[in-house]
Amino acid sequence: MTDTARYAYAVARHLDAAAVDGVPGVHGADLSVVRHCGLDAVLSDVPLPEFDEQGLKQNLEDFTWLEAVARAHDDVVWAVASSAPTAPLRLATIFLDDDAVRRRLEELQGQLTEVLDRVEGRAEWSVKVIAPPRGGASESPAPTSGAEFLRRRKAEAEEREQHLEDGTRAAEEVHQELVALTVASRLLPPQDPQLTGHRGTMVLNGAYLVPHDAGMAFADRVRDLGARHTGLSVEVAGPWPPYSFAVLEEM
Amino acid sequence: MTEQGAGPPSRSYQSSPGQFGRPQPANLADILERVLDKGIIIAGDIRVNLLDIELLTIKIRLLIVSVDKAQEMGIDWWRNDPMLNASAQELTEENQRLQSRIDELESDRSERGD
Repeated sequence: MTDTARYAYAVARHLDAAAVDGVPGVHGADLSVVRHCGLDAVLSDVPLPEFDEQGLKQNLEDFTWLEAVARAHDDVVWAVASSAPTAPLRLATIFLDDDAVRRRLEELQGQLTEVLDRVEGRAEWSVKVIAPPRGGASESPAPTSGAEFLRRRKAEAEEREQHLEDGTRAAEEVHQELVALTVASRLLPPQDPQLTGHRGTMVLNGAYLVPHDAGMAFADRVRDLGARHTGLSVEVAGPWPPYSFAVLEEM
Repeated sequence: MTEQGAGPPSRSYQSSPGQFGRPQPANLADILERVLDKGIIIAGDIRVNLLDIELLTIKIRLLIVSVDKAQEMGIDWWRNDPMLNASAQELTEENQRLQSRIDELESDRSERGD
């Protein structure tokens, strides 16, 4: 079995193995659960050559491969998080066999338990604020001179810059209001429009940890904020597995 | 990666407490951000630091670089750092173009003796 490795998706607590039955892992592999020290690791077999150091370095450069593995990883995390407190693991956490997984669970038992305590009964919500693209040049009378044309262009550029600043300020206000409502929050870099397809500028990409029973109220509050900031697009999505809040405390 | 239209934002709301609601189809940017930049880092038997790998393009690298890491690199995105912000980048470029065009015109005028 030296050509097979174990891919670890998540660590959960009191996971009903039926919850991941029939959920396909990376490359459609079956999932299995290794239970040790009161922790449940969700795993599947992957080909070692594809996931060893050399293989990973090469494959992570292949966008098609990366997308397939990322989606499978995320699908499994969702399935696990839907039925038990879950700490998602980073993509491509690879062990050589189940004994190695058990050893690691034992070593990190205290820290993993803390993480599960932190996220239990809570979910992650994503809030994105997008400042729409500023309308292009208005078709006003043609400029009478080159200098006039340039002045106009410069004014438009300044207007756009102002528009962006206003959006950023509004986003900061939205974030501050949400921080007051949530257990924890994390700011993420704005996403690339080429990947998301959004138009305009993402001025806020925030993650918020919200108790399950407060999720709807949180979403309503985000919608209120969106209504108040009419010039901006405010999107809320969730509940998601608590990816942003599953971090081991610094040793 | 094709340009998609700006459709309505995907939303999902809890149908009951504890249920995770999944927007369909899951947005690739959200997925990459979650699986590459978040989640617990446990040292497995194969050691690969995702951030050390020349990932695809600078765009993907920026997508997954965490805020903490970005701040270490001196990027403060609240101030619309061009590195993280396409619009700011466009503005910077446009300003440069305008400035050089003004310089050209002004040098034309001084040659004509206006």
